[in-house]
Amino acid sequence: MHSEDVIGLPRSEERASEDTYRSRWTWESVGWGTHCVDCYPGNCPYRVYSSGDRVVREEPSGTFDTVEEGVPDANPMGCNKGACWSQQLYDGDRLLHPMRRVGERGSGEWERISWDEALTQIADSMLDAIAEGGPQSIVREGTPEVAAVFPTDRFFNVFGGRTLDLHPSFNDFSIGLHETFGKWNPASSADDWFHSELILIWHMNPAFTRIPFYHYMLEARYHGAEIVSISPDLNASHMHADYHVPISSGDDAALGLAMVQVILEEGIADTTFIREQTDLPCLVRTDTRRYLRASDVRGGGLARDDQLFHWDPEQGLVEADRGNLLLHGREVALSGSYEVTLANGQTVTVEPVLAMLERQLQEHYTPELSQAITGVHPDMVRMIARKAATSRTNIMLGWNSCKYYHGDLIERAMCLLLAVTGNWGKQGTGIRSWMIGMADGMFTLMVKTLPGVEGAEQLLAAQEAGTAMMRAADPSITTEEIAVRELSRTLARVQLGEEGTMGMRGSPPAFWWYWQGNYRERWNNPEWGDTSLPRTFDEYFEEAIANGWWTGLDEPRPEDPPHVLIECGGNMLRRTRGGATQLGPNLWDRLDLIVSIDFRLNFTGLNSDIVLPAAQHYEKVNFHIPTSHTMRLTLSDRNVTPAGEAKPEWDIYRLLLETFARRAAERGVTEYGNGTGATFTPADMADRYTLNGYLTGEDQVADEIIRDSVYVGTLPEGTDLARMREVGFERFIGWGTSPYALAQASPIEMEKTHSPFRNHVELGDPFPTYSRRAQFFIDHPWWTEAGEDLPVHKPNPRSGGNQPLRMTSGHNRWSIHSMNQANPVILQTHRGEPLVEISVEDARARGVADDDLIRVWNDITSFRARAKVSPGVRPGQIVSYNGWDGHQYADWKGANEIEAGMVKWIAFAGGYGHINYSMSEWQPIPVDRGVPCDFELDPTPTNDGR
Amino acid sequence: MFTYSLQGLELTADVSGPLEVEENETTARSAVYQVLGAFFAASPADAADGERWSKELAEAATLLPFAFEVGSVAVPNGTSSDDHAAEHDRLLGGSALLGGAARDDRDAEIASVRREYEYFGLASSDEAPRPADHLATELDFLQYLCFREAATPSPRLVASFRRAQRDFLVNHVLDWVPGFVAATLAAGAGQPLAWALERLDAFLAADHDYVVARLGA
Ligand code: SF4
Repeated sequence: MHSEDVIGLPRSEERASEDTYRSRWTWESVGWGTHCVDCYPGNCPYRVYSSGDRVVREEPSGTFDTVEEGVPDANPMGCNKGACWSQQLYDGDRLLHPMRRVGERGSGEWERISWDEALTQIADSMLDAIAEGGPQSIVREGTPEVAAVFPTDRFFNVFGGRTLDLHPSFNDFSIGLHETFGKWNPASSADDWFHSELILIWHMNPAFTRIPFYHYMLEARYHGAEIVSISPDLNASHMHADYHVPISSGDDAALGLAMVQVILEEGIADTTFIREQTDLPCLVRTDTRRYLRASDVRGGGLARDDQLFHWDPEQGLVEADRGNLLLHGREVALSGSYEVTLANGQTVTVEPVLAMLERQLQEHYTPELSQAITGVHPDMVRMIARKAATSRTNIMLGWNSCKYYHGDLIERAMCLLLAVTGNWGKQGTGIRSWMIGMADGMFTLMVKTLPGVEGAEQLLAAQEAGTAMMRAADPSITTEEIAVRELSRTLARVQLGEEGTMGMRGSPPAFWWYWQGNYRERWNNPEWGDTSLPRTFDEYFEEAIANGWWTGLDEPRPEDPPHVLIECGGNMLRRTRGGATQLGPNLWDRLDLIVSIDFRLNFTGLNSDIVLPAAQHYEKVNFHIPTSHTMRLTLSDRNVTPAGEAKPEWDIYRLLLETFARRAAERGVTEYGNGTGATFTPADMADRYTLNGYLTGEDQVADEIIRDSVYVGTLPEGTDLARMREVGFERFIGWGTSPYALAQASPIEMEKTHSPFRNHVELGDPFPTYSRRAQFFIDHPWWTEAGEDLPVHKPNPRSGGNQPLRMTSGHNRWSIHSMNQANPVILQTHRGEPLVEISVEDARARGVADDDLIRVWNDITSFRARAKVSPGVRPGQIVSYNGWDGHQYADWKGANEIEAGMVKWIAFAGGYGHINYSMSEWQPIPVDRGVPCDFELDPTPTNDGR
Repeated sequence: MFTYSLQGLELTADVSGPLEVEENETTARSAVYQVLGAFFAASPADAADGERWSKELAEAATLLPFAFEVGSVAVPNGTSSDDHAAEHDRLLGGSALLGGAARDDRDAEIASVRREYEYFGLASSDEAPRPADHLATELDFLQYLCFREAATPSPRLVASFRRAQRDFLVNHVLDWVPGFVAATLAAGAGQPLAWALERLDAFLAADHDYVVARLGA
């Protein structure tokens, strides 16, 4: 329709601008899209409009169905980044061609090269690396960008490279949840929040970070819930809260424990829940401060060490059932002390964990005592505690607490609050982290050696055989969840190293940083760690190695240096705590080749040797992170062909393997070993990657993922790529086989929101912990030595210096990490350059005005950014929202450069039930919150062009 | 003992389970698909031998778990082999036996059935011996799925093969075969083609109901 049709005006040349505008809003095709990046949980289905093989715009489809009657649907699902994602397909930082640096690394001097040149050079460097240090000297860090994960995993499996466990790289490991539940990832569906009566937004800023889902909190509020925002600063989520609890940064354990003290003292705890779900009734010897164990009571031999006891008022000493938690009305003791005769004839006094805990709370964590730590008024503590005890309470936990050195203590205190108030396993309750699962086809695709249904069946049968072995070895394993988890822990230590598709070597990156990144020096600084510990870092580290807690995992050792680094879909130099300051001289400069595969030239790419252009979202077929937060698999389709010479990651790796085979043949390399006795033959690697040509391209790969998922039983029968292309998403119907999905421990009811842990509460399924209960007493010797066997508060260490201020962080509103920081539309919605938020008082004291360029520094180094003087920031705090890329700061030095990358020393522990490594679970994680620092007006404002 | 016999498809993947199994209800279904597939793949001369086909079908159907009338074929006396060939060409020539031809986008249909074959470890090519959307190829696939259902030791695979049978019947075979049968009969198909078409139509409907009932159970 033209304008004259509407208002009767003649068209003329002068009105051509209208046509220009109209042409922007015309399209030839419409398809599905989403943004398969770590905007977790994301999964927003979008309609993508294309014209002339260019995406012209996108909009939320608003097509998610309502799940539970009376609960609002999820629509429209979207965020500011997603709404202008297509801008980035054609932006200035888009990688369109393979490029090779011609100057020094990081000099910004590049030449455009052909795919063949690029792949040949990479293949040659890989062959050189293999000759020198085996395929395991070709390394990648994990990435949460799901589009890149499974092709990269399959590629590394095929040639036998080393993959570093992804979780510590971005540190969203809710370590205190793991310590308590033996799993870190309960994740309710977002619509379940609507059922809450009390929402504690705690270490989270959902108005920034959960844009598509935040509405559920507001809708819960309209539905009668109260919202409490617990944070040091007034952030965007505070605006719609009923109460703000202004706590000093990192002192949250003290607040949580004070609330628990109130609830216990006032007798308003849910004692039935405590008895069944937790270890609080388990008996502890007062002489050793260790659990009373079957090995104590019955002597060694066949008595298991992890069989614990309750005190039953009628029966006396009874075993705490490891197979089921339900007590059917039995009221085992929660207080008192009892005499028990041991196998050696000795009589000892025992008491329930709760008795010890109550004493500790009384002594150190009354609301009045906690006020001295947290600054929170006792009346506020009591009010919230009473509300929690009488409401369906939901702790909205982000991935902020886990980035504190003592984040585990903070999270254990939070879990304890939920435990004493009976707040998990019911709709509208609980605490959350993240999870990935259900789309089991993604996981089968990483490792399957046979095409189609046979390959999926082979893997399922292998897992079944493995879990059967676990159950046979330990009959107390009564649930699939525990069996799978135990199997994962066992397999994590086996470097399969098989030729085929199970060849990669997996390592927790703590050892990579320690030995290859020289973090040993930082971690051994006694001033920067927990000064209450009686020993040095290396004493703990060496004991951990000597005890064999990391045998098979403590790699790569100093004698096994890396040669080639391949970063795909990540931004390692921006992300790593310590950044280029630490990695540059210690690791980067020693690498023979650094390859970055990405759709944009990010900070890591700028410091690489070769960059390969990957297809963007909308240009390749992929899925968003499959998660119980949305319970749906969401498709992002190939709406247009990749810009320039970009290719989907799947194709890049296939081509690289073909080139690798060609160069190997030309250089006479017919096979090589990886040090474990396995041999690899380059000639047929591309065939193994594609299953002899079966996986022809990304359509086939996507369809295989869907069909395997259907086979496993997580997607409805009949789902395939063609169907997904019609509807854009599909709701999961089963949990499948992965530990993170089984960790939900709840039934999937198609017409009900998902709330984790229902099986623990309703069926009495045990937790995968040492005690088989939600465990608040950890009597591992290191916890005892650290004074952390029970949840306590400890001050944040001074990792980085003795400066008076503390830098905190969080995800920003404008970008998913650094991915959208250069989007021209987004840049116009904020100040458009790196900034830190500082308090009015601290700014005044240092003579800094709003928008001044300041230098933020500590003992490590400094960075420069604009000051945003904000009354919402508490004095003593600096807020540096994450995501600015290194090269957006002056001198290419970002905020992560002043982070020490300290790990909690006792996190190197093992050998204790759930305190044992398995992939993406228990392991040391570098922390970055509460970084000591100070700032000053920048004396040399080199980037101040105004 | 029973084993499958593919003509339009070939095995590409290692399979779990034995390559022949004791005859039972499920192998009977496979056997019926095998005979019907062979009929529609046969040359005009071979297809003309109604007695042979009815005998083979009756034998195959012995253990079927549902009622299925094989019936008998009365081929009119005096029909020459040339007549048969001409009739065969008239009714089954061109694209009559190609499921994709009954749809708007034959290429899409071929890609779709091929993908089904591939996921279950089979492959076909456009050339040899017949297209992926040929009736005989599609019946071959159903034959194979039934055989694997009977042969696999995995309950998961059993369920998967059953689901695949149902889905393939609904999404592909039943989407075009009943129309093709009706049109061919209306065009005056003689014997034994008319008999074979009616048996095909009846068997597909009965087998679909059976599979759906089994899955429901
Ligand atoms: S970027 Fe993530 S959260 Fe935003 S619209 Fe896309 S999928 Fe949704």
